[in-house]
This record gives sequence, C-alpha cells and structure tokens, in this order.
Amino acid sequence: MGMRNLGTRPAPASVRAFIMRVARGHAPLVAVLRREIPYWQERGWRRAKNRYAGSYQTRYGAFEGWIEEDAFGRAKFYVYNPPQAVRHDAHWACFTPRGSDWFMVHMGKRPNDVSSGIMTIERLITEAHER
Amino acid sequence: MKKLSVVVAGSGQIRDVEIEPGTTAGDLLQQLNLSDYLLSRGPNEPFFAASESAYDKVRDGEKIFASTKAEVGDVVWA
Repeated sequence: MGMRNLGTRPAPASVRAFIMRVARGHAPLVAVLRREIPYWQERGWRRAKNRYAGSYQTRYGAFEGWIEEDAFGRAKFYVYNPPQAVRHDAHWACFTPRGSDWFMVHMGKRPNDVSSGIMTIERLITEAHER
Repeated sequence: MKKLSVVVAGSGQIRDVEIEPGTTAGDLLQQLNLSDYLLSRGPNEPFFAASESAYDKVRDGEKIFASTKAEVGDVVWA
C-alpha cells in the first residue's frame, strides 16, 4: 500500500502543553491539612457573642435560624418559617410561635453543644419530609 | 479492616480509627470515650443503633459524625 507525505505542521497547543507537563514531571506533593472546626462553623453559621445565625441545611432545603446561648451554655433554637412537612409532623407541638413566623424549638433533651442541636433540627426536618 | 474519621460535632475534633468487621457503633463510642454521643453519617441520615455494626454501615475512609443526644419534645407553654 502506498503512502503520500503531506508535509508537517505544528502540534495543537493542547498537545504541546501536555508534552511540556510530562517533561517537567510532577510538582512536589503538598500536604493538605484537614480543618477541625465545629459543625456549626462548617455549615456556615456565624457567631456574635452568645448568638448564632445561619440555616438548618437539609436535602429538602435550607431553613433560616438563630440560636441563643445563655451563660450556662444552654441553647435555645429558633427557626423561621418551618416547612409544611414539619407543621404536619407529630413534633409540631414542640415548635412555639415567637411572632413573625419565627418558632422556638423546644428540646426535651437538650444537646450538649450548639452543633448537636443544629444536627438534631436538621434531622427532624429531614425525617418529617420522609415520614 | 476499615479506616474512618469520627468528627466530634461540637468541637470539630477528628478522631481517626481503624475498625474490624463486627465493630458496633457502641464499641466505637465507648473506645473513643464518647459515651453520651450518637454516631451518624450526617444530619440527613439516621443515628446508628449502639448494637448496629458500624463496620457494615461505613465505607473505608468515610467521615462520620458524633453528636450529643438531643430530642425535640414536650410542649412548652410560653
């Protein structure tokens, strides 16, 4: 079978860049440290003195909230405009209206820290949607 | 053996552990000295029961959470 030489042309820029990368070798490994931060911080809550503001985040949506911690570290949890699923759930009786569609969530057993409380409310919202 | 990282929700502290088949959530909590805590894969997932095999529930290298027991309940008449 015959072959016809059609001449030469420069390789495309992407191919040249790839060859350059291979020729240069790997960059030195960089150790990436894990962040050890409380859950409330990881989820983007902000803290100002004894108050936290942020949102309870679930696969069914994020719901605005705030938390107030007293001098003994006991926290009160509030949520704005809870979803219909929660309003029709057996736990709805534990949501006390505080005006302007804000509700305080009463904890029968208090969490030891704010992060655990946020997780509890996020779990409650999720379970209400899945019941 | 599986490796997993247990994140203590309140402090953010991460405890790396290696578990053998059959290790329960209760075993893990006891050995990590987190007896007042519950384990879960996250807030959208249910808690592991103490007698449940954590080994069967987690993937190698997975991060799971330990949070303190809390319960929404009892009406407050304000």
